[in-house]
Amino acid sequence: MIFSIIATVVVPSVMILLPLPGELTRELDQLYRSDNSFSEMSMHIVTEHWERTLTMEIWSEGRDKTFIKVLSPARQAGSATLRIGSEMWNYLPNTNSTVRIPPSMMTGSWMGSDITNNDIVKEITYTYDYTAEYIFDPESRGRSSDGIYLLKLIPNPSTAVVWSYIICGISLNPVLPVWEKYYDQHDNLIKTVTFSDVQTMGGRTIPTVMQVIPANKPEQSTIITWSNTSFDQGISEDIFSLDNLQSGGN
Amino acid sequence: MSLISKLAWRNIFRQKRRTILTILTMTGGFVLSSLAIGWMDGSYGGMILFFTNHRTGQIQVHKDGYLDDPSIYDTIDSYLLVGKQLDAIDNVSAWAPRIYTGALLASQAENSPQGIFSNSAAASVTGIDPILEQNATDFSSQITQGTMLTSSHADSSLRATGQILLGNELALTLNVVVGDSLILFSQAADGSGADRRYIVTGIVSTGNTGLDRASCYITLSDAQLLFALENRVHELAVMTSSLTDVERAAEQIAAATDSLGLSTASWKVFAREFYNGMQADEASLKIMLAIIIAVAALGVLNTILMMVLERRREFGVMKAIGTQSGSIVKMIVLEANIMGVVSIVLGSILSTIGLMILSKHGMILDPPLDYGGFTFREMVASITPGCYWIPAVCIMITASVVSLIPAVKASRTDAAKSMRKV
Repeated sequence: MIFSIIATVVVPSVMILLPLPGELTRELDQLYRSDNSFSEMSMHIVTEHWERTLTMEIWSEGRDKTFIKVLSPARQAGSATLRIGSEMWNYLPNTNSTVRIPPSMMTGSWMGSDITNNDIVKEITYTYDYTAEYIFDPESRGRSSDGIYLLKLIPNPSTAVVWSYIICGISLNPVLPVWEKYYDQHDNLIKTVTFSDVQTMGGRTIPTVMQVIPANKPEQSTIITWSNTSFDQGISEDIFSLDNLQSGGN
Repeated sequence: MSLISKLAWRNIFRQKRRTILTILTMTGGFVLSSLAIGWMDGSYGGMILFFTNHRTGQIQVHKDGYLDDPSIYDTIDSYLLVGKQLDAIDNVSAWAPRIYTGALLASQAENSPQGIFSNSAAASVTGIDPILEQNATDFSSQITQGTMLTSSHADSSLRATGQILLGNELALTLNVVVGDSLILFSQAADGSGADRRYIVTGIVSTGNTGLDRASCYITLSDAQLLFALENRVHELAVMTSSLTDVERAAEQIAAATDSLGLSTASWKVFAREFYNGMQADEASLKIMLAIIIAVAALGVLNTILMMVLERRREFGVMKAIGTQSGSIVKMIVLEANIMGVVSIVLGSILSTIGLMILSKHGMILDPPLDYGGFTFREMVASITPGCYWIPAVCIMITASVVSLIPAVKASRTDAAKSMRKV
């Protein structure tokens, strides 16, 4: 009798306590989203053949404008990237020229990292571009042993991505991403993204370190570290222009 | 000369019409197979030479594993030393170092502001040494507009404007002509960005539109600086004095470079698809040859069989005066072989004349044939040793084997019976 009461009352209440997958993804989307933002970050790239660190400044406005300026190392300093919608341009200081990145190069690497041009251009939201569901196993009810909830994100038919689904590890209180694993249609891992070093920055509590590890090259990785971020502090509209890009963002 | 040989020799001149008929059949077979072989060798030889001489070389040297999975990092270090070893090999006539990588090329659209390059296309970049490449592949013969690259001092600074050659179709995509400038943008082997401004100095048409749609060429020293590959290259393309020297030269190169972690491949390996297609075609040539030879053999069998039947009485007489069966077989086979030798001599003369005509005036292909990405407009025959020895061996074997059956039949002639009958 006691057991049946526990079974009917306690078990569903655990289910009710869990936020809906849609709410989780909305909160995740809100983490970095803002009308405008400015960040300083470093990108550490490790490959089998070389290793380097770039520092850069990033301005963004809404969902479709981004301006990135590389500060170091010397050979790359002054390079800049401008994205407006799905258009992407690179400024090359050596030649004092601005080059448009054609659609055929969008899956190519950005600045030699494990981040593709597409990753920068496509502002994909979990909420609108994916359908989310919990991965329940009978014992954990979506929660793995270390307190992480597992979400499976399946891209909507209109979402143009090269992976077929993402498994996300998400912590609640606060809602933060812990890791993401990208899989292809044969259930092979494509890449793993981990989020760590949660700090309060620009008034928000966010992971400030993101690491991307391609599955086929485990010895390779890209680590992005945010050193400063501010949200909604107002940015001049002129930043997101070809003129500003061609002048190297100065 | 033994009695049997003497008899065989005389028999040839006894019935001239019969002899001429047999010799004609054999000569016909010889000439037909010889021409077929010369034609096949010529068309393939031409294709291989065209294919290898103008681009790939007959032999290529790479770092181990590069051919299966090309990577900008798999380089031949200190290539000049390897080049010296190549020069020391007799059959090597020339060699050319190359760097291969990919890049984005961008040109200015009409009316676009200064410095904005919005016409962009991805291309494969080949770094070539202007002098060595010219020696090896006669590269400038493929330049349809403008001029060949020159080694220049500008190659020592990335801020100076460099020289670039574009494939014909790539130039159309980028909407540029000789004299226009464009930006090359890529990544160097040390992970840094690689970008430089270029002037289009020439347009290249290799005859392979797929290649010309995606290829551009810069000088080797420029590529080494731009892609941070000092003194390194990806490939050494090696030319041999003739196609028959390829395998031997490849072995010598492999022996000389093996300890350096390099691998040597002949065109049969690096142009595998082309080679396999050729092998399949050669199999069908062999079937065709077999049919030609079978027809000739049947003709020979026919004439010798007729001859034996006509001469039954004669064999009967020979038997009656005590000639042994074996001697009769020997005599008839010898007769066929003498006629075979005459046919080979005659056939060789006729084939040489035929092959010489076919090698000068080939067959014009209209429409042109696309094979392995290259366009062939004319097919010509070539005169190779195979044009002579293969038909010669076939004729001698046919003459011996085919004459054996009637010869054995003749040797079994019953002397009394055959003399009574006629």
